[in-house]
Amino acid sequence: MRCGTHSGTPIAVPLSHSHEVNEKGKAEMQLIATLILLPLIAAILLLIIRQNTARTIIVCAFGTLIALASVVFAGTYLAAGPVFFDFNHPLIDHACTAISGLCVVVILAFSAKYKNIWAALLAIIQIIVVMVVEFGFASQMEVEIGLYTDLLSIIMVLIIGIIGSGICIYALGYMEDFQAHQDAAARDRRPTFFALMFIFLSAMFAIVLSNNMSWMFTAWEVTTLCSFLLIGYTKTDEAIRNAFRQIIMNLAGGIAFIVALWFAITDVGTLSLIEFLQAGIANPAIVAVPITFLAFAGITKAAQMPFQTWLLGAMVAPTPTSALLHSSTMVKAGVFLLVKLAPLFLLNTIPSVMVMLVGGITFLLCSFMAISQTNAKRVLAYSTIANLGLITMCAGVGTPEAVWAAIFLIIFHAIAKSLLFLCVGTAEHHIGSRDIEDMDLLFERMPRLARFMMLGIMCMFIAPFGMLIAKWGALVSFANMDQIALILILAFGSAATFMFWAKWLGKLAGIAGQPPNVELSVHKSEWVSILLMVMLLVFACIALPAISAYLVEPYVVSAYQFAPVAFLVQDISFDNLYLASISVCIVVIALFCGLGRSKKRQVDVYLAGVSRDDDARAFQNSLSGQTVATARNWYMEDVFGEARIAPVGVVFNSVVMLCAVVLALVGITLA
Amino acid sequence: MSLMELIIPILASLVFAVVAPVVGCLLAGVDRILSARMQGRVGPPLLQPYYDVRKLMGKERVDVNTVQGAYVVCAFIFACLAGGIFFSGGNLLMCVFIITLSSLFLIMAAWSTRSPYAEVGAARETMQVMSYEPMVLLFAVAFYMATALILPTEGIGSFNVGAAFSLDFPVIAYIWPVFLGLLFILTIKLRKSPFDLSMSHHAHQEIVRGITTEMSGSTLALVEVLHWCENVLFLGWVSIFFVWGAWWSVLIAIVVALAVYFLEILIDNNFARVKWQFMLKSAWAVALVGGGINIAVLAFV
Repeated sequence: MRCGTHSGTPIAVPLSHSHEVNEKGKAEMQLIATLILLPLIAAILLLIIRQNTARTIIVCAFGTLIALASVVFAGTYLAAGPVFFDFNHPLIDHACTAISGLCVVVILAFSAKYKNIWAALLAIIQIIVVMVVEFGFASQMEVEIGLYTDLLSIIMVLIIGIIGSGICIYALGYMEDFQAHQDAAARDRRPTFFALMFIFLSAMFAIVLSNNMSWMFTAWEVTTLCSFLLIGYTKTDEAIRNAFRQIIMNLAGGIAFIVALWFAITDVGTLSLIEFLQAGIANPAIVAVPITFLAFAGITKAAQMPFQTWLLGAMVAPTPTSALLHSSTMVKAGVFLLVKLAPLFLLNTIPSVMVMLVGGITFLLCSFMAISQTNAKRVLAYSTIANLGLITMCAGVGTPEAVWAAIFLIIFHAIAKSLLFLCVGTAEHHIGSRDIEDMDLLFERMPRLARFMMLGIMCMFIAPFGMLIAKWGALVSFANMDQIALILILAFGSAATFMFWAKWLGKLAGIAGQPPNVELSVHKSEWVSILLMVMLLVFACIALPAISAYLVEPYVVSAYQFAPVAFLVQDISFDNLYLASISVCIVVIALFCGLGRSKKRQVDVYLAGVSRDDDARAFQNSLSGQTVATARNWYMEDVFGEARIAPVGVVFNSVVMLCAVVLALVGITLA
Repeated sequence: MSLMELIIPILASLVFAVVAPVVGCLLAGVDRILSARMQGRVGPPLLQPYYDVRKLMGKERVDVNTVQGAYVVCAFIFACLAGGIFFSGGNLLMCVFIITLSSLFLIMAAWSTRSPYAEVGAARETMQVMSYEPMVLLFAVAFYMATALILPTEGIGSFNVGAAFSLDFPVIAYIWPVFLGLLFILTIKLRKSPFDLSMSHHAHQEIVRGITTEMSGSTLALVEVLHWCENVLFLGWVSIFFVWGAWWSVLIAIVVALAVYFLEILIDNNFARVKWQFMLKSAWAVALVGGGINIAVLAFV
């Protein structure tokens, strides 16, 4: 194995026996190539063939193909352990540089059009650093193993392939309604929309499968650009503003990423992810600076405070975009990188403390702020940021148990969040509002959708569903590491989580109690995707013990070969996981079979007067007139309002990150 | 994992579903007599709670919607599961999570009615859960950390309730501040004044039956039985602080649990209902001080 030639301290890192380079090489490459190229072909086709029917066929066909390919991929490599592909070519390196350059050109063009000086400035800085790194250092670096796959990559591939494609198919119906609400004169830009969604998927596959970190960086930048274009899709002033906020924050993250690559070359002498990880485990001090910068990049992408505003702003985009950004792509790239680096955080105090604190404070404060939101999509956004905070926190702790928890959080968050976004999107088109208070009366004729939404919500915050089992793992790992601050953050944050989900769930419970009405005009594609997510969710919750045994635990064991994995067996023993599975079955049966079967005589609710209209809660008052009772949820703006809480987190986390970067740089200078 | 490990908590849940209502019913009867004596009344017979429930069972089966009863049944099933996990020596965190699920189902039952009174009760109950949840989680963590210090396993703790019987001395020695914190939030969990915001048995409150406003007949009876079961489980939590290797420690634990129950009745009869702001702030302050400082000290011992 060749190491970098241009390195201050060249370190030969032998690949351990389980990391044998795949001999069959090219033949097996086809599967990975298929995963990355299929969405690209779909995107190109969608741009060329702009007809509506053709688009439906292409999206459905390629969505199914991508999902199937990812399942086949998972099946092929599930038992193989980490597999490394001896695959590299200068052409690909040049193509990556060209794509990075192209991204910057596009950003510059938009900055010029909308006169945004900051985005332009950051883009120029980025391209300069890229050029310096690519042509100054990286050209002498040869990464023999271009691509790899391990169990974490497989999990990510399944999430991207199945959930991502599901969302694309959902978007067919949604965008038809969306287009119908637009001006008739406006140009139909749906081909661009769908093409961007598929490019997004392709870039995500490239991120989770690249061992060459400069390829990974290119894919990273492509996701940034795609989400910029998707957020700004409607071209309203607000959309443009929020798109630029996104691009500025993520360009800063991208610059941090490329700076990290620079340090990886000069300090560690490699651009190969696996060698980088092994070098870091062998000698933690030399990776301190690059992983601090990589963590910075991951934190911006995962929309942690102080960067949370870009994900909140992204809500202006059509709902499928939000679903894609929140569940299977974009933010998941950020936490994927952090989880990948977790073993190094265990050995490096400065970046570890930074990641833990940033994630912890984000989890706590965003859970609080979610209580004060009435807009359903904003509640979802805050909950996403909070959960990403929890994942970030686990990655920062870096113990095997914490990584176990983080991976489960990624899986369940992806499924449950996509389900919730799809449900909110469908509800929005039928009631014309995203406000939770409006869901009360207008939404009552969609009891089936309400139950799907309830299932999604329950999965987000309550035992025995997946997210809580993962939180449980997190709590155990914090207790084992004596991380008192994190335990407190988890305890109070979870309490707030209960509040904001339970009150929304309560609103929906009122709807599920209504008699079903099939007077629905939900698109078939929307139902298909929603049902897919529901089935995935139920399957994943019930099969949790198996997912743990066959995917997550083996990954954790292989990633922590340097440290003995005294495992969860004793803390979350398996009988508890099975007990959780059984409980999930009970809840699901109750929700979908038990409700609405009662044969009791129906009476009006008590309204302190004679009821006149039960649905409207109208009753006859003491003057024989009609009074309508109103009840609203609690939002407690004065306790948990954004204006009060957000500045605290932004200032605190900015200071933490600044200190960490300075300390890491000082540390390397002194050493 | 063996099949037995899975079957034991389930069997225990079934036993709990039979035994806990009996014990809980007697406790409720004692509560009513003691409360009456404190108010200068004679009070009902010991078995009055049982007579009440039996009468409710015989009432006509009416409901305001078709789902409420199903939610209450779910709440009852999960309360029994939580009890079964606890009393079979199972995982304390699992028990805490499952009893929270049970509370959630009760909240959903109230919300499903769309009655303004039940909704107020449900919103307040949600607030109550948010108030006591941090302390309950810290209780489980503190138990784990205390067993890590006491167990002969050298620093490896256990969330299993059964581990208490392997201790050389009870965990109260290390986590008495957590015990005090748990007592504070126990008033909320037992629905005692001053924290009986969501529903109450005192007729003078501004909203008496909030969460159960629309429940009647057998549904209301089941809620009552559910409440008995919860009381037994929560007193179990209190007593686990006093259990160690000696078998007779169980007797001490029971005596302490009964003393705590008496204390709760005393508090119930001597305090006026407070506003939610006070409940939230005080419960979180107690969790932060009692729970937070205690586990911090344990971590650095």
